[in-house]
Order: sequence, then C-alpha cells, then structure tokens
Amino acid sequence: MMEQDVNLTVDFAGLQLATPVMTASGTCGYADELSEFMDMSALGGITTKSITLKPRKGNPTPRIVETSAGMLNAIGLANMGMDQFIEEKVPILDQLDTRIFVNLAGQTIDEYVTVAERLAKEPAIDGFELNISCPNVKKGGITFGTDPKLIKEITAAVKNVCLGKPLMVKLTPTVMDISVTAAAAVEAGADALGLVNTFTAMVIDIQKRTPVLANRTGGLSGPAIKPIAVYLVNKVYNEVARDAGIPILGMGGIRTASDALEFIIAGATAVGIGTATFVYPDTAKNIIHGLADYCRQEGLSNISELVGSLR
Amino acid sequence: MEDKKAVNKGIFEAEVLSNQQIRQCYYRLNLQFDAKGSRLFQNVTPGQFLELDLSRVSLPDASMIPAHLRDTAVKQILLRRPFSFSDVIVTPLSEGPCVKVEIMYCVLGPATVRMMSLKSGDRISVLGPLGNGFSIPQGLKQAVLLAGGMGSPPVLHLASHLKRHHPGCEITAFVGAKSCESLPFSVRIGDHKGLVLEEFEMLQVPSHIATDDGSAGYHGFVTDKVRHWLEDQSVAPDSGAVFACGPEPMLAGTARLANDFNLPCQISMERMMACGIGLCQSCAVEIKSDAGDTKYRLCCKDGPVFDANDVLFHKA
Repeated sequence: MMEQDVNLTVDFAGLQLATPVMTASGTCGYADELSEFMDMSALGGITTKSITLKPRKGNPTPRIVETSAGMLNAIGLANMGMDQFIEEKVPILDQLDTRIFVNLAGQTIDEYVTVAERLAKEPAIDGFELNISCPNVKKGGITFGTDPKLIKEITAAVKNVCLGKPLMVKLTPTVMDISVTAAAAVEAGADALGLVNTFTAMVIDIQKRTPVLANRTGGLSGPAIKPIAVYLVNKVYNEVARDAGIPILGMGGIRTASDALEFIIAGATAVGIGTATFVYPDTAKNIIHGLADYCRQEGLSNISELVGSLR
Repeated sequence: MEDKKAVNKGIFEAEVLSNQQIRQCYYRLNLQFDAKGSRLFQNVTPGQFLELDLSRVSLPDASMIPAHLRDTAVKQILLRRPFSFSDVIVTPLSEGPCVKVEIMYCVLGPATVRMMSLKSGDRISVLGPLGNGFSIPQGLKQAVLLAGGMGSPPVLHLASHLKRHHPGCEITAFVGAKSCESLPFSVRIGDHKGLVLEEFEMLQVPSHIATDDGSAGYHGFVTDKVRHWLEDQSVAPDSGAVFACGPEPMLAGTARLANDFNLPCQISMERMMACGIGLCQSCAVEIKSDAGDTKYRLCCKDGPVFDANDVLFHKA
C-alpha cells in the first residue's frame, strides 16, 4: 500500500503484502467479525484461528483471565473443523482483499497433512501457519514445537502438500533455545517463521486455592510479553533467519506503532497484532498509519529498509 | 453469497453525564453517546450490552476505595468490561438520534473501582452494541421477570421497554439478593403492604423481593417465591413468558421452574470475555444439541440471551 510518499509493501516469503501488519491467529476469528471495524485491504494479511480436521468444542470455561498488562487464554483450539470452514468461511475469505493465512493444528502429523493438502487447493488461501506451539491442548500443539526432530518431520511433511504456497512455522517461546527450534523449521523447508506464541502461565484464585482457568494453565499474551518477544525475534533474526533469507512474523503484545517498529527493527519483516485487537478491533489500522508517519519522519521511502536495522 | 454485512456495531466515544452511588457498592452511570454511537444504539434491545475501556480511567483517591479492594485495585486493566443497560433513552433530533444510556454497576474489582472516579464531562471509549437481546414473542400478554443481584439492570430495562412498546402486556417483577443491603434498587414500604422497589414502582410494575437471609421480602430464593406465585396465578403458556438475568444457579432454577409451568423462558447469561465480538472464543456457553451431545455457543455473539431449554447448566 502506498501511503502517499511511503511504500509500506513488503515481500513476505514470496507474497507481496500491502502493509507489514497482519492479525494474529486466534484473535481475529475467521476474519469476517473484524470487517465491521476496518478496511481489511489495508492489512498485510490475516491469519485465521486454528483449523483442525474435525470440529473441536474447545475447553470448559473459564477460558481466559486478565493479568496486569496481559491475559491468559486456554481456548483449546475451538473451531468448526475443515469441512465447515471450507463451506462457510472460505467463500467469505475469498471476498477479502488481503492475504489469507490459515493456521493449521492437529493431534498427529497425518492430521496436519490432511488439512493442509485439502486447503492448499483453495485459491482463496495464500499460505499456511503451522501451529506447533499451542500450550492448551493435551495432544499435538506444543509437544511438536519443543522437539527439533519432530519439528523437522512435521514441517517437511506439511511443506510437501502445500502446493508451493508459503508455509510459516509458529514457534513457542517456552523452549531452552528458540534458535534451535527455528533452525529445525528452516532446515525442513519452512518459508517463514512466526514468533512468538504465548508463554505457558498460571493464575491462582487465592480464596479457592485453585487455578482460575478450567484448563489450569493458559498462554500469556499482551503487553507483558512484548520485550521478551522483541528479544527472541532479534535473536532468531541474528542466529538463523537473516543468513537463511527467511522472513519473520513478529508477535507478542503489540498495541502501538512504536511496538510494531521495535519488532521490525529487531528483524521482523511483518508483525501480527493479537490481544490488542480484543480491546480496540481497529488497532491494526491505527498501527499502519503510525508506521507511515514514522517512515516520513525518518526520511524512509520504503518500510522494508527498517527490517533488522538494529544498530 | 449473502449480502455484505451491515455495520451495526462500532467503537465510539461517550460523555459521562453523571455517576452516582445508589447504595452500598452500587452505582449508576449515565452516558450520552456521540453521533456515531447514537446511530448504532437507536434500536438497541434489552439484554444487549456494551464494553467500556476503563484502562485509561485513574484510580479514585485511596480513601474512596473500599478496604477489601485496596489490594486488588492496584492491578492494571487491559481488557474492556461488559455492561448491560438499566435504561436507554433515544431522542430523535433533526440532526439524528441522541442516545443516553444508564448503566448500573457494582464496585467489586480493579475496573469498577476505577469507574467510581468517572465524573460529569469525562469521555470514555465504548464498543457496541453487542449481543442479542430478549425477543418479545408475538401476542405476549403476561411477562414474569426475574432478576438476581447484578443481573438486575437488563431486567429493569426490559420492564421499561415492555411498558413503552407493549402496553397491553401485564408485567410482574421478582428481584432476589443475598440480603436487603445487597439489593441493587431502592427499597421502601409500599402504600398497601410490604416492601416495593422504587425503580419498578416508577414504571408502575408490581415487584416482589426475595432475600437469602430474609432481611427483606420473602425469606429464600427468588425462584421459590416465583414458584409460589405461579401456583396461585394462571399464566397461559401461549401468552405468557419468563425472562431472567442473574447468577447461574438462579438461572438454572428459573429454567426448571419455567419448564414445570410449561412457560417459554429466556435467560441472559454472563461469562468472562476478552473481546465481546466473537474473536477470542472465551465466553463459551454449553448448549444441548439434538444428538444428545453438547456444543459451545458464544455468550457475546450468540447470546447473551438464550432459550433456557437449550442451556446445559453445571453444578456450582
């Protein structure tokens, strides 16, 4: 997108994005809910909630709890399943003038592969985000994302059926060294890296002496995790992504344009807006305007000049 | 392909007209919406709700904060908070509608403590209108209203809505609380007998009180009070209906009660929610499905008003 004198378009794993601002999975529904609040074509893209082969009810409530500067969620990958998604939501997504990434989740590698193979045939879908970092399900999710060997196996298997559409691997920060898991994904053919997913966390009700969430633990998101996420993006950019020429989608507590700029300077080619969308559904739109203003002030004609420009 | 969805909710600003303590921890906040908000809210129905961004509202003076909340009050707020309305006034003006809403709130945590400091002229961000309100069946002649504690505001709104738009409908309100002190309304001795709730009396709606400790009205659950009342009345299933909002055990009791008397029943549910617009999927309500299985529906988007027969209640 050209905002007068500033070029905000970025190349992300071979896809041209109108702006480097996307909405993060699990925070923008199936996208139709957000279109009442902003012009979706201003977005670089959207990432749908996780899609599994069969419908999932999700976890019992409470599924969320607020913390100072953040929130925990344990939704449990509630979704309508692949078939209903294709029937009901893909036609709506097809009408949106923005890039569509589908977040893939499953309990087995076969399940991921089946969903990716089927959805890759849909022209409306531009790319995939491999969710191997959900902390809130008993099987699959984060168990894939902490073991480099499994990461390679699942990334290669899904990449094989994507029909050349970009595959982004979304990483969990709850590992000893995120560069190891990032390198595993890149080695197995990942076209992009998404980081970070939420941090496993707990809030306790001191009257009942029980966890507040029905799932006991949940994933921490929001402003509380932003400085850690910026650090991890910079680390992976320096140690893995830059030399491999792999773009990073930076995520974690972004609320403002300056938050987004920190991620871009740290090495993210694009950013995902998550929790902030819950509070102001038009957050992404405001961030896009702020990015253009910054470029103008800094005398930059192209936002991609900023990527990884940390001194 | 269905038509492009009409814009029927949004983010806008409201101005605080007044913010007064009613009694104990209960307050009444009156807001006037800007042009955008007024346009969005002109056809709002009882049971719908809005969300306020209270993160930018400062804490009141320490002396104002109830002692039992001083520890929790310092927690920062991130998410919006949902509120229903106890009244909505739409004034048609030549330049468009002007909407004023009344919100009743109970000070019980870091967000509502901040609300205490709102004063006339302050501006606040609103997201709404959200959810689906009560639907009034065709030919409704008798409405039985049940309110429990802080579930009272939308029930009061429904009473005034029925008075305005369904003048032929006979309304009876029942309000339950732990004690007389924890009733969110003004209680006074009525002209004939017993206690009445002023807010309902102003609407000329007869009201009955039930308290768990017997300090006002019927000693016991409001659902038991209604059961006795229904046994003495004849409310016809084809022209009568029950509407309720309150804590979940009360709603479960209301569902059983309505079932026993064969009356249709709509209940307004409450859940912790992050967004209010169907994005976060946190406010799940378990619904019975045909196959004997259950499924989750979202309180914010599919509710908050549900048919009482559809909801699967869990023991507290």
